[in-house]
Amino acid sequence: MAHSKSFQITKWICYGLLTITAVIWLLPAIYALTTSFKSQSDVMQTGFRLLPASWIMDNYVRVLSNTSSAPIVRWFFNSLFISTSHTLLMMVFVSLAAFGYARMDFKYRDALFFTILAISMFPAVVNIIPNYMIVHKLGWVNTPLAVIMPGLGGVGNVFLVRQFMQGLPKSYDESARMDGANDFTIYFKIILPLIKPVLIVTSIFSFTGSWNDFLWPTIVLNNVNQLTITAGLQLLQDIYGNYMVIGQLMASAFLAMIPTSLLFIFAQKYFIESLNLNTGIKG
Amino acid sequence: MMENTISNEKVKYNGKKGINFKQWIFIGPHFLFFVVFILFPMFYGLYASFTRWNLIGAPRWVGLENYEAILMDPTSSFYSQFRNGLVNTLIFVAGTVPLQVIIPLVLAVMLQHKGVKGKGLFQAIFYIPGLISVTAAALVWLLIFNPRLGPVNNLLGSNVTWAVNQPYAWIVIFMMSLWGAIGGNMVIYRSAMSGISNDLYEAAEIDGATSFVKFFKITLPTIKFPLLYTIVMSTAGAFNVYAQPLMVTGGGPEQSTFVLMMYIRNLAFGQGQSVAGMAAAMSILLGLVIVIIAAFQFRIMYRSSK
Amino acid sequence: MNLNKKLLLGTATMSLALLAGCGNDNEIVLWTPLTGEDGQVMDEMIQEYNDTDPEFPVSQVITPDLYTQIYTVMNTGEGTPDLSIIHADRVQGFVELDMLEPFDELMSSQDVLQADNYIDQAWEAGNVEGTQYTIPLDIHSNVLYYNKDLMAQYGVEDFLDDDVLTFDEIMSLEGQLDEGVYAVNNSLISWVLLAETVNLGGDISDEEGNPTINTPEMQEAMQKLVEIEEAGLMTPNGEDGYAMFQGQSVLFSSDGTWSSLAHDMVEDLNYGVTNIYAFDNETFHNRGSSHLFSMLTSENRTDEKEQGIAEFLAWVNQNSVTWAEAGQIVASRDVYESPEFQDFEQSFFTKSQEQLDSLLIFDYEYYGYVEAAINTVINDMLYGNITIEDGLASAQNEVEDLVAQGHGADINIEDDAE
Repeated sequence: MAHSKSFQITKWICYGLLTITAVIWLLPAIYALTTSFKSQSDVMQTGFRLLPASWIMDNYVRVLSNTSSAPIVRWFFNSLFISTSHTLLMMVFVSLAAFGYARMDFKYRDALFFTILAISMFPAVVNIIPNYMIVHKLGWVNTPLAVIMPGLGGVGNVFLVRQFMQGLPKSYDESARMDGANDFTIYFKIILPLIKPVLIVTSIFSFTGSWNDFLWPTIVLNNVNQLTITAGLQLLQDIYGNYMVIGQLMASAFLAMIPTSLLFIFAQKYFIESLNLNTGIKG
Repeated sequence: MMENTISNEKVKYNGKKGINFKQWIFIGPHFLFFVVFILFPMFYGLYASFTRWNLIGAPRWVGLENYEAILMDPTSSFYSQFRNGLVNTLIFVAGTVPLQVIIPLVLAVMLQHKGVKGKGLFQAIFYIPGLISVTAAALVWLLIFNPRLGPVNNLLGSNVTWAVNQPYAWIVIFMMSLWGAIGGNMVIYRSAMSGISNDLYEAAEIDGATSFVKFFKITLPTIKFPLLYTIVMSTAGAFNVYAQPLMVTGGGPEQSTFVLMMYIRNLAFGQGQSVAGMAAAMSILLGLVIVIIAAFQFRIMYRSSK
Repeated sequence: MNLNKKLLLGTATMSLALLAGCGNDNEIVLWTPLTGEDGQVMDEMIQEYNDTDPEFPVSQVITPDLYTQIYTVMNTGEGTPDLSIIHADRVQGFVELDMLEPFDELMSSQDVLQADNYIDQAWEAGNVEGTQYTIPLDIHSNVLYYNKDLMAQYGVEDFLDDDVLTFDEIMSLEGQLDEGVYAVNNSLISWVLLAETVNLGGDISDEEGNPTINTPEMQEAMQKLVEIEEAGLMTPNGEDGYAMFQGQSVLFSSDGTWSSLAHDMVEDLNYGVTNIYAFDNETFHNRGSSHLFSMLTSENRTDEKEQGIAEFLAWVNQNSVTWAEAGQIVASRDVYESPEFQDFEQSFFTKSQEQLDSLLIFDYEYYGYVEAAINTVINDMLYGNITIEDGLASAQNEVEDLVAQGHGADINIEDDAE
């Protein structure tokens, strides 16, 4: 199929701008990656060099051998369990609540939603104490529930999914209702399939958020065998920089982001598929 | 606009039953967790803001004393901290939020172009920096702008010591924050745009619409709800900024990048005894600012869409 | 809702399965802030102890934000650890809030847990009005690293003949150094300022417990540091002084004992350690802190377990040479006098009574406020963004406001009457 001339021109403009931005975005990451293969003397030598004078694996070896006494495999599975449970529960809670706030009709619906949204916007600085009290009262300290559950009360994801549901034409529900569908059928059969892309986005956000959280897990999980991998690795890596071996810090940062990057790349496949699928729907 | 279409049903529903609890089946589970893990702690924080509290003992009620010190007493260091912190936070918000919305939006539009291949690769490149820990990211950007070791001064021949001079210190903080922040908004815009039917674009093309017109007439109106989300949440997030200035400049030079959240955290969890009551009062005030600005954003967005 | 319930149930059962074997009554849970390599060394040492098959083995819980965590458990009164390592400057405040249990009883059950067996300052840091609340593990202090090759290059090895670098000696380097080479850096500069203030006879608090930051002594000390900077001998603003020392362009680096771990990884960096520079070679101090074992108040700690804790601490007193690997000055006399300890760089500080006396630990209840307030302004004063008067006055004001808040938090009847 032949495309118009303007199609070709805009295509190359897009390529150009995308490539420039991608290079700008990529360079710091590459610099970080090559730094993780540099020795401390190499990093500290005056003058800029992107590549190491000699490539060394020491930083990775040191980071990994630091974990020799730590149950790192256990941590990995803890994290996998915690982040997966959290994400699954989140998907259910969020899509249900968003449906309620976006597509159902009840008194004070919007007032209620904007109230909880406003409340959730207050910075939660001293809240760590009452949160700990609650988790403790519930008997969740030192159990995975302590890190899976509290985040489910967040309003951000509900807000995101609600916004998407609001964008869907109301006629969808109405025609279904004519055919005798109830709220559940509409939620499940009509709305959910349509918002699949944003649900995938939300699940990526929830998973990485839960995976990367590190302060809260160290507060509520005192048993070393219960820890998550992000929290565990940070304890071993001296993030507060008592002494700074820059290459080692980069190495541990890259090791820590492997799982979430893989998840993103994996989820992205479905994400892009769901995007293409959606474009087919006629408005 | 969308709000109005609901009224049709209202009649039908109210006809069936007096009061309807059906919605609680949907919003109930989330609401329960909201009450337990957000609302209750938030009320606790509100209560704490009227007390002196070191986090250990019981909070001691002092009424409006904390708020008076922060808002009315120019001799108090809490007064100057709050002012300075709020101003710096506003600078950060103004410097990052527009770009945090515009850059991903432009990228998403370009990725939408049918002729562009390698969408997944581009998307991954923009998203993955957000997965790098803030500590490591700060270190990389500090290295990049390091006068002796970094590429900026060595390759571009700049003489600026970035992190300790304004406005350069802000520039480093802005760049580092944007680097990690655009991926999230970009994937949101991408999913929002996927809902736009191709027919609309094709019809517009036949009418001879330029890409520019298509963007403003078709794309923007369709994604306005998700767009509002990203604007509101990016703003709220930017008001909570803490780690980037802490790691890049430590608040300097002359406390010009000392953001409010840094003062709040120092008070609550800094070196020495906690001054949590004062910290709570400052967070409540910051929260009010965030909510007021969010309310404005909602108003403007809904107005302009009518 | 059904789906919800199923998921919830599923999660709950799976979590129960994961709940295997946590908590053990016969174990001493030790909380430490020792992230990174330090925590590894501590684990090694604990392993050595557990290998002796004690009745109460020890298990370390490292927490990155120890004090936040202590606040949360003390607030609820549950989950308090059996033993925890805290820093010297926290003791006064914790005692004031009734958060620490005295060691007096346990000291009588284990002979070695006595003042004579530890570095004075470390022991004293745990003593509040005659009651002993902590048993010291180490002192980690400010130290001056020197680059041997650079000193030879500029022919200034004689500066350290008396183990003390003086301000005059530093100033004599003015105009002598090649471009891009500096005499001193700004690492831990607030610790240096505190030591210089004490060298001049000043202190950070008066007898009534009020903070004293904006004093003639601290002004003079700060002035001296500014003079070094103005003479072009201090690493420039915005440069990482620590990195520049490792990059071999600084003669003297004021840093912490623990940095030797990273310095060792730089090939060709030929360095030694000595005292932080001073006004003369008679009066010199190295600001330090101390890791102290403490028992946070808890009703759940049995007498038997306390005996187990005493046994562990007695063992640490005799066997903590392993801890020297973390770069710290071990507080136990038997250890720092042992031949093995002399192999470590930091044995410099234990080689004589004069050196031991130079270790400076602040036990002011509000030390944390003082250090934080000074850190906020010190770079701006050092590099001339603000005057010394303004900087110290603002730090003084800040600490006074914080102290006023702290006093208010105590349950104080008089105060309530207002």
